[in-house]
Amino acid sequence: MASEALNRILYVEDDPDIRAVAELALVDVGGFETCLCESGQQALAQIDDFEPDLVLLDVMMPGMDGPQTLQALRNRPEGLKVPAVFMTARLQPSEVEEYRAMGAIGVIPKPFDPMTLGDQIRALVNCQPDANSLDLR
Amino acid sequence: MIKDSAASGDVSSRLADLRERFATRAAEDLQELERRAQVMREQGFDQAVMEDVCARLHRLAGSAGTFGFPELGEAARSLEKMLKAQAASGQGPVVSTLAVEKILALRTMLESPPMPVAEDEAMAETTERLEGSHGLRVAVRIVPARNTDYEWLAGALAAYGFDCRVMAGTDAEIIQTLATETGVATVILCADGRIAGIMEQLDASVQEPVRRMPLVCLSEDVSFDSRYQMAALGADGFFGRSPDLPELAERIEYLALERSSRVQGRVVLVEDDPELAEHYFLVLRSAGIDVCWVRDPMRLMSELSSFRPDILLMDVQLGPYSGVTLARMVRFDPQWLSLPIIYLSSEDNRDNQLEALSRGADEFLTKPVSDGYLVRAVRIRCFRARQLFRLMNRDSLTGLLKHSLIKLEAEKELARCRRDGHPASVVMVDLDHFKEINDTYGHRYGDMVIKALANTLRNRLRETDMIGRYGGEEFLVVLPHCDTEAARRLFTDIADAFSQLTFNGNNESFGVTLSAGVAAINNYVTGDDAVDAADQALYQRKRAGRNGVTVFGDDERNSGPTV
Repeated sequence: MASEALNRILYVEDDPDIRAVAELALVDVGGFETCLCESGQQALAQIDDFEPDLVLLDVMMPGMDGPQTLQALRNRPEGLKVPAVFMTARLQPSEVEEYRAMGAIGVIPKPFDPMTLGDQIRALVNCQPDANSLDLR
Repeated sequence: MIKDSAASGDVSSRLADLRERFATRAAEDLQELERRAQVMREQGFDQAVMEDVCARLHRLAGSAGTFGFPELGEAARSLEKMLKAQAASGQGPVVSTLAVEKILALRTMLESPPMPVAEDEAMAETTERLEGSHGLRVAVRIVPARNTDYEWLAGALAAYGFDCRVMAGTDAEIIQTLATETGVATVILCADGRIAGIMEQLDASVQEPVRRMPLVCLSEDVSFDSRYQMAALGADGFFGRSPDLPELAERIEYLALERSSRVQGRVVLVEDDPELAEHYFLVLRSAGIDVCWVRDPMRLMSELSSFRPDILLMDVQLGPYSGVTLARMVRFDPQWLSLPIIYLSSEDNRDNQLEALSRGADEFLTKPVSDGYLVRAVRIRCFRARQLFRLMNRDSLTGLLKHSLIKLEAEKELARCRRDGHPASVVMVDLDHFKEINDTYGHRYGDMVIKALANTLRNRLRETDMIGRYGGEEFLVVLPHCDTEAARRLFTDIADAFSQLTFNGNNESFGVTLSAGVAAINNYVTGDDAVDAADQALYQRKRAGRNGVTVFGDDERNSGPTV
């Protein structure tokens, strides 16, 4: 079940620089507990232990990209019961719709501002009246 | 791998470390890019190399902004797009020299110091909120001729609220100093003998804001030849050695406003190609221009009404719709009769362009448009549109709001006070013994004094304050987020500075004082009542000896009748 509170974020990003600054943004500025993964495979391996409240995925990654990772997380026997957010540098209106259709509750454009990333994520979650219903789409 | 949220370090210093790390890696990345660009230029197109170049650019586009290099990020993004578009259009095998040059240019953006944009904005906000701080304080830098004293001019202009300094040193040294203070709007006043040298240094500067600094010439020789020569050298204004100060002050204001990046604009962009629209959107937005993208022409009219742009930028062919016909349709609505409409089009036939122009648009930008050209073209048109709007709504002598509009502002501010509960003041300002000035020196000098007061107010007040010419020599000012005591202090300073200005008429110099009455807007039921109260306070000030400020209700505290 998606818990009401948003404390734990599973973050998947292949670029170590971006991972480092996002860690700062999410942990120190945003106040989240964060599990950093450098690939979709690692996310699959970590998610059960970490039990995140939200999954944050970079779209463009070598090997398994963001959408494929989301699909893989969903395809686990227990599925994915928490909201997902994408991050991407190539933000076109059509793409946002595409990611929404995949069930993401929102897309955060890159480059992001490390000082407001946490707020952006909270705003996306708060805009969702019922995060569970979105999983059904 | 799991980080405890309690583990906090010094965020900004860690951020700075990360920035540095990014800069190092990005520098390596750029070197790789340059190497690949050279390889392609010399050995021809290679699909694998191109893909690698695009991937690297994409990474930069998505990350540079986060680390404080937004310019680099935007440039990488637009370059990535350009290369992809070239590949898609079948031009793939040719990598244009332009692309290679642009890749080389990326390096300079990494070398320029990172701009922590968000922090700057936050700082600007706090200073603006300080009561009595000024809106746009213009820096005036005077380059003197040898053995000429210009301190008097610096002093005189300082009285108008400019930050004035006479510069010492060689041309190169002066420009170097100016290059360190590009954050403010600067206007250079330059003695004619030094213009050529200063211009050369300006043009040679690597900083765009320095190259674009406006320059006003001060010359002893006011002949046609001399003026023509200064215009040819690139001066933006021309004044004699003893310039008419109010006029000079006005020109400085105008130039500073025109050049400053604060000249922003609002643009509605009608474009059905999302790729292009996104590109224009990013280019314009990174130049500080607000853009509203309309993809479906059916939504154009409603977006115009809600967004209220300065100009309309429109593709000529929008699927089944013609931009030319849409322009005509927009003009059906009288409120958009004067809205500048500009086509973005690949139409380069002058006859066809003219035909389209005759049907309601104002101008063509022929595709492909370079980013820099688009920004400049849009900015200047937004500026002109705003100038036109000013002409219609502003008092012609002072450039301030007309009577009816400033009264409306008082009313609007009262509504805002009710909503947010903040204090706000309204101030009525009047020149003392103004009739005598007109009678003694003539109306021309009277007008000069009025203009000088208008400029002083503009320079001393915040951007959010509203200033209007209420009557002949009466001005009305609305000060949001400013209680009556702060307003009293502010206008005491203004009255003081204004009384120190000297005017020259009939071969004698004279000074003028002003009186001001202040009232708290939020104490009244209507804006008109507040204005009346300020007017009464002004009347009390006049009876109490003029030259100063009275707040409505002061007399009750001071007790005892004033006769």
